[in-house]
Amino acid sequence: MSWEVDYLAIAPELIIIGSLFLVLGLDLTLPRLKKYWTATAAVAGSALALIPLAFLAVEGETISMFDGSYVVDEFALVLKGLFLVTAYIVFLMSVNYIESERYYQGEYYLLLLASVLGSLVLASARDLIVLFIGIELVTGPLYLLAGWRKGDVKSNEASLKYFILGVLSTAILLYGMSVLYGLTGEITFSGLAEATAAMPNSPALTMAVLFLIVGFGFKISAVPFHFWAPDTYEGAPTPITAYLSVNSKAAGFVAMLLVMYLALPGVSDVWAPALWALAALSMTIGNLSALRQTNIVRLLAYSSIAQAGFMLVPFAAAAVAGADLEEAFSATVIYLVIYAVMNLGAFGVVIAGARTTKSGEISDWAGLSNVDSRAAVLVAVFFFSLAGIPPLAGWFAKFVMFRSVMIAGGAATVVLAVVAAVNAVIALYYYAKVVKSVWLDDATREFPGEFDEPPAGSLRLALAISVGLTVVVGFFPALATFVADASRVIAAGG
Amino acid sequence: MLLNQFLVLGAALFAFGVYGLLVRRNVVLILLSVELMLNAVNINLIAFESYLVSAQAVGQVFAIFVITVAAAEVGIGLAIVLMIFRNRKSANVDDLSLMRW
Amino acid sequence: MTFSDWIAEPVNWVFAAIGLAVLFSGFRVVTSKNVVHAALYLVGALAGTAGLFLLMSAEFVAWVLVLVYIGAVIVLFLFGIMITRAPTGLDESLSSDQTAMPALLSAAVFVVMTWASIDAFGTELLATVGEATSTQVIGESLLGRFVIPFEVVSFVLLAALIGGITIARRDLTPVEEEERMSV
Repeated sequence: MSWEVDYLAIAPELIIIGSLFLVLGLDLTLPRLKKYWTATAAVAGSALALIPLAFLAVEGETISMFDGSYVVDEFALVLKGLFLVTAYIVFLMSVNYIESERYYQGEYYLLLLASVLGSLVLASARDLIVLFIGIELVTGPLYLLAGWRKGDVKSNEASLKYFILGVLSTAILLYGMSVLYGLTGEITFSGLAEATAAMPNSPALTMAVLFLIVGFGFKISAVPFHFWAPDTYEGAPTPITAYLSVNSKAAGFVAMLLVMYLALPGVSDVWAPALWALAALSMTIGNLSALRQTNIVRLLAYSSIAQAGFMLVPFAAAAVAGADLEEAFSATVIYLVIYAVMNLGAFGVVIAGARTTKSGEISDWAGLSNVDSRAAVLVAVFFFSLAGIPPLAGWFAKFVMFRSVMIAGGAATVVLAVVAAVNAVIALYYYAKVVKSVWLDDATREFPGEFDEPPAGSLRLALAISVGLTVVVGFFPALATFVADASRVIAAGG
Repeated sequence: MLLNQFLVLGAALFAFGVYGLLVRRNVVLILLSVELMLNAVNINLIAFESYLVSAQAVGQVFAIFVITVAAAEVGIGLAIVLMIFRNRKSANVDDLSLMRW
Repeated sequence: MTFSDWIAEPVNWVFAAIGLAVLFSGFRVVTSKNVVHAALYLVGALAGTAGLFLLMSAEFVAWVLVLVYIGAVIVLFLFGIMITRAPTGLDESLSSDQTAMPALLSAAVFVVMTWASIDAFGTELLATVGEATSTQVIGESLLGRFVIPFEVVSFVLLAALIGGITIARRDLTPVEEEERMSV
């Protein structure tokens, strides 16, 4: 049998691979002082890879390869676009951060590019093996990158904790996949969907599905599988934390939703209650823990756990109510895209602000608006957007979420909607606390950092892109709904 | 041979792995426990392949991928252990303050 | 199928012997008080698993397991143990004292898994006994239907290799760095 490969369809992956090898070659040949060219190669690679994506999007054809195990449809394109844009922003944020301390720049960009390649593969994965390898390629380099500040004990432990729980979740995930394969004899999502729909519910099937949810739960750091996240986020270098909370979390989400939605729609009575519980717990525990945080990175860590809960709401609600999953699926994807942009912005402003404050404690950020008004404005934009205040992008995400819950209807969904609403209010409190500290509180001390010198161009560009998207999507939500239209395509058999 | 005799053996190995993961305090030993769990997955996959017999030997191919990834992860894990050992002169989880969860 | 039918098949004796050895080694991996012994018991468990793979006619995977795991991964583990100077004699501090809850939990995991698989597969028999899966099939599968994960997994290995070296290596001291720069 011969297998056709459509090279245009995998061109984004090939470009990332090309820039990965370019980084490797540059790192080997350039003298130490010119290593920053590796950053240029990585940034250029992630931007160039968007070009074939645009071509594919214009063509709009669904390309299916290898027995339908690797599919490039509009849904995959949207996610690949998301992964590439966020990776681009993370690369920009990394440039100065990595140069300013003694890091291994070449290896850093190489590992990050490998992780990006994994997320691109994941977006197209339509069978269990490709999915598994994709997840491993996303997380494997990140175990190492979390410990990149080698001399810092906190960073070491961040890496170790992330690694141990990562391999544990992989083992659990794989056990679930193996049972799923044994029960059905299928590994492609379409095959699994057919086989599981036809089969009566058995303890083995239930167990397999629950194992998958536990495994994915660790990857997206949903409560009660979240305890690694705050320590890892705090210890890892800040651009890596941004990447972890956006790209790698989005990758985990995509993997979980793909499996549940495409491969196991027939057993939604097993996974729907489980996702419902994950959503409710993540929102509540995440928010309540965030209230107590005094460190801004830990606050963002818990807030991202809570945001993961919000993201699960539409999907869990629709599945529990037995409503159409299509609407919910696109709501979750819209939330994911908007969350990615504003959360990256929040981490970018943390990096920018930390240049002045030299501290992660929120109390040390008091009065920042007096010395660095631009950073203070950005703090307000991103944190209010995360809280869901109009007219910033975050409100539209929340709006889409609640709308899809209303469409689903049913008692269980109403409970979930109430939990979500209460949590949205709690979240507003601690996001506003940061903004208040920056704008209204008086500085308690002299700022130690250098604030006369503006942050580097790359960081400013990263912030400009995220703030632009956050504001524009907030004012013109129509721009975000194209995401919804695209993710609807997947329902048509993508 | 029954399919289940292999599956039960795999389940036992997986359970041993869970036990080791919870009880062990040395990072290298925790890694060994995880290897045991992945080995249980491999037994499952090969047993299912032998039971289902697919044209493309899917289960065996899956097992090869699991073995490959496990090898990569051991490399990553031991590198992390070495790094921590350089800073703390210990490979025991207890000596790491943040590792209490 | 009754137990006497089962035990009448000689191949099941082989299974029982290997299976018990695997179980014993697996148990010792998580209970041994000596780090090196634990790693060597893992060799036993893996060698036994390779034997089981042979019984299930998965010859290629069996030898991959032997070569990759016993040949490479265990050696890596032993290096790790030696370099981190873990105590190679008896060491009570390797395991935590609270063993009751973990034991209960893992027993529960075992019971649930066993119950689920007996419920699902009852007394189903393996289909391939005695006829080995040809390596050609696996090779064509790996480089045909599964070529994308096959290529992608190489990047997992590349990243692990490069990242592992970077993370594990000793950083140069400032003096050494000066020397390096001047060359």
